[in-house]
Amino acid sequence: MKARMWTRWVVFIVVAVVINFPVIATLVTAFKSPGEVSRNPSLWIEAPTLENFAVVLTISDRLNIYHYLWNSVSAAVIGSVLPVIVAFPVAWVMVRRGVGRGLLFPLVVNLRALPLIIFAIPLYMMYAAIGLLDTRFGLGLILAVVNLPLSLMLLANAVADIPLELEEAARMDGARLPRLLFKVVLPLCRPALITTFIFGFITGWNEFLFGLMMTSRDAVPVTVGASFFFATSGGGVQWGVAAAVMIIAALPPLLLGLIMYRRITGSMVAGAVKG
Amino acid sequence: MTSRKTSENAILLSPMVAFLLAILGFPVVLSLVYGFSETTFQTLTSPSFSGLENFRDVMNDAAFWKAAWFSLKFGVITATLQCVLGLAIAVYLAPLVRQHGWTVAILIIPMIVAPAMMGLMYRLVLHEFAGPIPHYFYSWLGWSPSFLGPANVFSTVVVAETLQWTPFAFLLFLTAYNQIPTEMKEAAAVDGTRPWRRFLKIEFPLMVPTVFVALFIRFIDGFRVFDNIYTLVGAGPGGATTSMSIYIYETFLRRGEIGKAMAAAILLFLAAFLLLTLAQRLVGRRAS
Amino acid sequence: MKRSAKLLAMTAMASLLAGHAHAEVTVLGWPGGPEEAALRAVTEIYNAKADVAPENKVELLFTSRDGFFDKLQIDLAAGTKAFDVNLIATYSIGKYAPFMEPITLSGEAETVFGGTVLKTMQYEGAQYGVPTDLSLHFLYVRSDLIDALLADEAAKARYSEIAEKHLGEKLEPKNPQDWTWKDFVANALYFSKSVNPDSPTRYGTVIQAKNLLFNMMVFHSWPRSYGANWMDDQGNITVDSEAYRTALKMAKMLFELGATPQDSTSYEYAEANAAYSSGQVAAMVQWNAAASDLKGAQSATVSFAPPAGPDGRFTHIHGLGLGLNKASDNTEGARAFLSWLSTEEAALAYARAGGAPGLAGATAGKLADERPDLVQVGDYASNYGFVMNGGTSQNALSVYEAQAKEFTGYWAGTQDLDAAMTNITASMTELLK
Repeated sequence: MKARMWTRWVVFIVVAVVINFPVIATLVTAFKSPGEVSRNPSLWIEAPTLENFAVVLTISDRLNIYHYLWNSVSAAVIGSVLPVIVAFPVAWVMVRRGVGRGLLFPLVVNLRALPLIIFAIPLYMMYAAIGLLDTRFGLGLILAVVNLPLSLMLLANAVADIPLELEEAARMDGARLPRLLFKVVLPLCRPALITTFIFGFITGWNEFLFGLMMTSRDAVPVTVGASFFFATSGGGVQWGVAAAVMIIAALPPLLLGLIMYRRITGSMVAGAVKG
Repeated sequence: MTSRKTSENAILLSPMVAFLLAILGFPVVLSLVYGFSETTFQTLTSPSFSGLENFRDVMNDAAFWKAAWFSLKFGVITATLQCVLGLAIAVYLAPLVRQHGWTVAILIIPMIVAPAMMGLMYRLVLHEFAGPIPHYFYSWLGWSPSFLGPANVFSTVVVAETLQWTPFAFLLFLTAYNQIPTEMKEAAAVDGTRPWRRFLKIEFPLMVPTVFVALFIRFIDGFRVFDNIYTLVGAGPGGATTSMSIYIYETFLRRGEIGKAMAAAILLFLAAFLLLTLAQRLVGRRAS
Repeated sequence: MKRSAKLLAMTAMASLLAGHAHAEVTVLGWPGGPEEAALRAVTEIYNAKADVAPENKVELLFTSRDGFFDKLQIDLAAGTKAFDVNLIATYSIGKYAPFMEPITLSGEAETVFGGTVLKTMQYEGAQYGVPTDLSLHFLYVRSDLIDALLADEAAKARYSEIAEKHLGEKLEPKNPQDWTWKDFVANALYFSKSVNPDSPTRYGTVIQAKNLLFNMMVFHSWPRSYGANWMDDQGNITVDSEAYRTALKMAKMLFELGATPQDSTSYEYAEANAAYSSGQVAAMVQWNAAASDLKGAQSATVSFAPPAGPDGRFTHIHGLGLGLNKASDNTEGARAFLSWLSTEEAALAYARAGGAPGLAGATAGKLADERPDLVQVGDYASNYGFVMNGGTSQNALSVYEAQAKEFTGYWAGTQDLDAAMTNITASMTELLK
């Protein structure tokens, strides 16, 4: 068993390097000066510099990275929590009672296949009329629509995995529906809920087109804000600065993944022991 | 009893339905109107009814079918690759991951980079003079493939998409694999069943539902691919990398043929609806 | 203690509100680069004027360059009030004109900019914008390479040999200011390792051929110098011409013989410049905006007007400018700003802050010492500048896009020249009817 672990480490390292190669290259580029980016394409940095990060973090006359980050955090939280809240009861009703399986489920899930940006114009007009344009809340609501299909799919899958006996036992004990849902089903779904939230947060965080179309000043998310930095000298892409802003923009979801992962593993291990 | 159940169901369904109606109700209705009208950016408030004209236009547009074929091919290939790789990695590395949880965080990093930014990064990484990959090809082999040239551009975008989203499949499979009761695995191990047989006979069958879910999600996501391809190579030389989403986006915004774009979206939605319903039937039959 | 806290709170409130309290004319500008810096500078001058009422002060708004025109399309079509004045470009005036209002320029505008430049902001005879920046193309050449070539008899013989083999003519190396497109091609072949293994550079040129409308503009000077146009005066589409075919075929030869980087069918501005900057490319045609970057990376770089063809020497020009959003709440304030922007005072300040306005003789002369490059741009624009027939029509943008799709398809080998010509004629007939 020990010997096998050694080969697993090798496989892990190879996989990690291959799938993360663009990210590694980005990280390397972020520490190169503009001159070095065009002169030295290798992964070795001749003269590491923090100049690019300094540019991103200190330009403040119109580009404010902190503001964009905050906008993204708020919109992505709304956009990932809301679908979990509204989809969870639906997932249960669909799986356990078969309601909405034939029409509602495919209707919602297939929204994922559409480029939702085609709804941009009516959404824009509607938002302008009710004052949601260029607000974090408004953007968050759209991100919630974007995330709804996947949330519903994952939660339905999770509910289906819960052994029916557990629910029936609770029912025997006289638990009413709300109690059953919140005290029995919800805790059992916790890993799935967290996974769904993380996927939703990442998707919301990474969304570009709605962020571009629906904001102009107050609620600009970081994906759009990041692109402001690419051309700070005009015309061409400033690769070093672009790389630095990309790294900064990827940190919050990475942090979330790191923190939340413990919870997922925790729940999974607990589940495994119980099962 | 039944009436209580009915009202319970209604209460459970209503938040999501209300939410969808509030945000998408007006846009969907207006878009349906546009789909059956001649609409441009100048006539947004006064579309003139044109029946099935837009649908005929779309069906007769070679570019639409080319885009559909591209998306289908792209979706099937990337979904298959991602699920095979993701499953293999998840099962093989599961013991390692169980002891060292942080390794998962490393493996899911590609997912957390915005696809649009990933596309931009590949523009640098694959650049013949400024990118590390061609650089090492040239310095070690004196030659480098043309990653984004006409001959290889499809493979390149497939690989880029696969590398970014294999972690998604990996995460789903890892969760499913870890949910398999430990006793079942241990019992088989005690029996002396070889790991491969154990996987095929005991573990894999338990993961089949997750495999379907993963394949389906990855297929849909591959089919609707937009950001990364669009920033990396645009619609491609001669439109060679035009996915369905790129086709609809360009018809809608660049050419301003709003009615036609809506018609294409409606057709796409109907096709997806049909596909999913069929898939559900199929899976349902298998399960029973 | 309490008082100071109160004071602090009030100051904080005031500073929160300050940004919006005075600015009533919002201007959506072209983000990043010299255009933004220049617009900021002139705005400051304008806002400092005593006769500009507080409610007519100008505030600037910038969004992303990526998808800028897509966003603008949605904003305008949905009747946004987020800005009063917005950016327009020569090729997109027709597309956005329905959502904008014609404006009146200051009395000086005609003498400051000249008729040709003002025309880049006109649609169906009406003035829709103040011209702020003018863009055209330069031929950038590494003079160190050319000088070495011209001084080496053996190299010259090799050059002629290559020209004869691929172009059927025994061309001699020449100074770049005298180049025709044939010289450009011969030079590109000579400096490519695939054709001439002794070449000091890997590629003779770089053609940015990603399926992108801007790349078509760079290409356009080539067919134009063979007499190409989009349509004749009767409105017939004339894209399927010997002129277009010749230029397309010559460019295709460069792709096939490996005289431009192997991935260049996926290149845009940034990639092409990076290739040139690496020192592995001998010459290229590129936007004038790239001058400082390219000269900075390769110090021997010299810029000229694009090569000539049988019909003469040409450079595609287009302008950026600012115009009035029809849905604006403060048209009066916006008009006042736009009118001032078209005065000599504003144009000079704009140029001094780094912008690139197309200025007529007398005004440009005042900047001869500070901005000699503007004199060159003005000179090329008036001598070689052109806009295709239909280049400012409602669907001009879509025409460039259709060409990008068909022409790059031909270069990349996904379709032959006849198919490309048939397809582009069909789309342009539809778009320009």
